[in-house]
Amino acid sequence: IAKESRSHSSQLSCCPQCLQRTSFRRFGNSLSEYFHLLQLSHKILKIIGAKFGTSVLSYFIFLKWLLAFNIFSFVINFSFITVPQFVAAEPNNLSFTGLELFTGAGYFQETVLYYGFYSNATISKTEKGPSYNMQLAYFFTVGIYFVICFLILLFSMAKSFCRNFINPQIVSGIASKLLCVWDFNITNEKAVKLKQKNIIMQIKEDLAEVNQEVLNFSATERVVHIVIHLVCWVASLGTAVAACAGVYFLSINNLKVFVKEHKNDLKSQAAMLVLPIIASLLNAFIPFFYSWLGHLERFQTPGYQIYVTIARNTILKISIVGILCYYWLNIVAASESQCWETLVGQDIYRLVLVDFIFCLLGSFFGEFLRRIIGTTVCVNLGLPEFDIGRNVLDLIYAQTLTWIGILFSPLLPGIQMISFSIIFYVKKVSLMMNCQPPRKVWRTAQMATSFMLLLFFPSFLGVLSLFSHTFRLKPSEECGPFRGLSSMYDAVSEWMKILENYTASKWVVWIYHNLITSEFFFFILSVIVLIITYLYWQITEGRKTVTKFLKKQIINGVKEKRFLLEKLWVLQRRNQNPSAPRGQGQQVSLIVQVLLFQLNAWYDFMGFL
Amino acid sequence: MGNKQTIFTPEQLDAYQDCTFFTRKEILRLFYRYRDLAPQLVPPDYTDKPDVTLPYQLIGSMPELKDNPFRQRIAEVFSENGDGNMTLDDFLDMFSVLSEMAPRDLKAYYAFKIYDFNNDDYICKSDLEKTVNKLTRNELTPEEVRLVCEKVIYEADVDNDGKLSLEDFQHMIIRAPDFLSTFHIRI
Repeated sequence: IAKESRSHSSQLSCCPQCLQRTSFRRFGNSLSEYFHLLQLSHKILKIIGAKFGTSVLSYFIFLKWLLAFNIFSFVINFSFITVPQFVAAEPNNLSFTGLELFTGAGYFQETVLYYGFYSNATISKTEKGPSYNMQLAYFFTVGIYFVICFLILLFSMAKSFCRNFINPQIVSGIASKLLCVWDFNITNEKAVKLKQKNIIMQIKEDLAEVNQEVLNFSATERVVHIVIHLVCWVASLGTAVAACAGVYFLSINNLKVFVKEHKNDLKSQAAMLVLPIIASLLNAFIPFFYSWLGHLERFQTPGYQIYVTIARNTILKISIVGILCYYWLNIVAASESQCWETLVGQDIYRLVLVDFIFCLLGSFFGEFLRRIIGTTVCVNLGLPEFDIGRNVLDLIYAQTLTWIGILFSPLLPGIQMISFSIIFYVKKVSLMMNCQPPRKVWRTAQMATSFMLLLFFPSFLGVLSLFSHTFRLKPSEECGPFRGLSSMYDAVSEWMKILENYTASKWVVWIYHNLITSEFFFFILSVIVLIITYLYWQITEGRKTVTKFLKKQIINGVKEKRFLLEKLWVLQRRNQNPSAPRGQGQQVSLIVQVLLFQLNAWYDFMGFL
Repeated sequence: MGNKQTIFTPEQLDAYQDCTFFTRKEILRLFYRYRDLAPQLVPPDYTDKPDVTLPYQLIGSMPELKDNPFRQRIAEVFSENGDGNMTLDDFLDMFSVLSEMAPRDLKAYYAFKIYDFNNDDYICKSDLEKTVNKLTRNELTPEEVRLVCEKVIYEADVDNDGKLSLEDFQHMIIRAPDFLSTFHIRI
């Protein structure tokens, strides 16, 4: 690399801008060497990518990314909220039976696992020593975690959009990207052969122009198609509504049972598990109904079918989560129970746990048993393929539940961390043992961007709007760090009142009163953001026009170049012809000079472009 | 950083870190992979910059490359004289460009060179035919191969000169955003 002779490749690798960033890179490199866990997952990802390719690999990369969110949340919550609470902990009088691991109630009710255990006092180890305000700590820890998550999600999504240039023109044959189609990750011989067969199939399809058949439907056939589409959408939305209604009535029943009879025996504790099991069963089986509906409707492209199925599954999951949130915030919060936040926390704990168990069972039935059926009983089916869409939606659902539960059960990310790690290994083992590499085309970059969009918009923003509603509810009188206040948000307003008395922090109070609580400021901010968005949109439209124009210019430029070169060649031949008269020779050389000048000008113009 | 390694001088390691996308540990790990291909040819001490070149047969037998239909072109593109025999610098360069941290333009440049079989800075029809045959294990008929190549040039050739230049190839990549993740070998 020090040699000058291997110049070009090393010039590209050691570009001047890169050298400026070397100090950052070296620091980042030495940091990353401390994370040995990354190397372990690196090997696993390499094995998976080698046999199954980039599409299946994207699921595991997404899972690793979500795991990082949970680790971050757990570390923050544990250090800022739980550890100070241990200092001021009250003794736990309840006994521990094994059932608490499943129901989350009983012994766990009086531990740091739930909101109800945290005190609202200002904790200080010694008299007049430094004090730690638990109310503000709880509020700001959760708040700042969500702000950081928001920024990380926003930047990742923007980077993904930028890198992948999502083009709405999805339909194009393999010929337009034949040179980009080979997956260099695949290093397993059988997987290579399968990929090559896949490419042959795509090429034959493209040559036969199956996708671009002009489907001349008659009017009746078109009407029949539209009616089938409508019926399928009505059926899917109808099942989603029915599922929501079922979950709602079950949960109301659940609450009645819990509030009326405070028994702690086996039967009532088992009854608490009915709601999560039913919710998970609905989430597990209705998607099969949706994919059957998808087969019924004949879509123009398979890519469109995947998007529609994912949209329906998302609607189902979001509506179930939505109805549960409505139940928690409007019914449980207004009920007569002692500590409604702990109840909600326990519900979420049970949901997360049952969802985790169902994920493992799904892997067992969907992949292991299906392989045994496919190889022994019904050999036509063959080995199962890894269903990337369904698995990623399950992950997004689990992460949504965790985000909702952070306020009510601060250590829930720790539990989700463990469950995601177990899921990672179980899915990897199941994949290697039971599945075959994917046969259909899966547009990895587009799907990865869509999944990140799904994580951000319905999932994260939904949780944020939920919290903004929760902060205005009345917290329980007898438990939790916000007891006695009229809303959780009052902790900050009271703190502002205290700060007003100190001159050193008057600027904080000023910012609070004039920027954060003032609606006028947010109105002005929204107007500015809308103006900037509109301007950027117009700039993008303008750039599209310029791109079209430049493409035409390139084609015209090449034609002009060819024309000029031909003229030049003809004129030079004539110039060399000794029988040409003198005067004409001068004329010809003048024309040659003009043409050369034009050619130079053209080259300059191309260089400018 | 504490572990005393005697393979490279600190300046060499820093130079490698700056010119590739790897960390110190990864560079050392790659060196051991390089050495494992031929322990008798590669000295354990690179501080005096020995001039060691491993023949293509050893490089092409690595598990990451041995089933790749383009392994010969990859080795030829990254080797110094284009014959597939690689020094340690070529080896590191190759895996650095094929790692996930390399930017899109760098990957596009090298992918273009890999598919340019006759090294004339253009992917012409014969290059495309060779590529298609490698992608399909020679299982398509010559007529189908010719049709596919014509279609590829028709769809991708922006400046209408009958062959693909680097700019045409970069334009093709815009329509295949998966390129960044598929043009990647994990080592």
